[in-house]
Amino acid sequence: MRNRGDEDLETPITSMIDIVFLLIIFFVVTAAVDKDMVDESIMLAEAKKSPAVETSDPRMVTINVNQRGQINIALQPVTLNQLEQMLLALKIQAGDSLPLLIRCDGNTKFDYIDRVMQRAAKIGLYRVRIAAMVDG
Amino acid sequence: MRKKYDDKLAVPMSSMIDVVFLLLIYFIITQRDEISEAHLAINLPAPGSAKASENKPQLLEVEVFEKQYFLRGTSVSLETLESTLNSFRNPDLTVIIKVSINAKAPDLVNVLDLCQGAGLTKLNVVTLR
Repeated sequence: MRNRGDEDLETPITSMIDIVFLLIIFFVVTAAVDKDMVDESIMLAEAKKSPAVETSDPRMVTINVNQRGQINIALQPVTLNQLEQMLLALKIQAGDSLPLLIRCDGNTKFDYIDRVMQRAAKIGLYRVRIAAMVDG
Repeated sequence: MRKKYDDKLAVPMSSMIDVVFLLLIYFIITQRDEISEAHLAINLPAPGSAKASENKPQLLEVEVFEKQYFLRGTSVSLETLESTLNSFRNPDLTVIIKVSINAKAPDLVNVLDLCQGAGLTKLNVVTLR
């Protein structure tokens, strides 16, 4: 009788563990999807006075520029011409106020950033943000 | 008899819920930590907008070279630049940042950061060739 009671007791805990692990996996996966837009190999320059962003526009297009001037969007490498095409298509969808975020490495020459900004300005996207790391 | 088992069953459940919430809080906190980024907004020069800015008296030009900053033609340190920018504290002041193509990202970010700190929001970035 005692033995049988113990067996009854074990069942809800195992199913609960299943649910818990499912929840954890769900959170880990959704967190990973968020980070996919970001090239982890890029070490941003540091900003000391600026506040960290709380919420950003969901339409924001993140453009990663590494120190050799290579561009990628959501880890998908693109050339300047492809970037221009993409931005043009996005601008038609989202309008002139489409915000751009340039994530450039601390060693990226301004020349490379300028090339991206030139293309953005050519299309008519004048509002650009540059990402920086906030310490602390 | 049956009821007694139910009582025993409730104890590991609540401690397990505690552990689950701890895990959840841990994941949420670590996620927040990674998004400690600042987004420094700038304006790009629109074609044909150069004329409009000529009449504005409140204009400040900062030139950025590799680890060198020029204010009205004289080389200044980052500290001098900061105190100068802080002395304006005028949100209407338009700052034109001329950046050399040889400058690196941190040089620009430093200036943008100081402007942000000084409450200046009208920042225009122009490229020096």
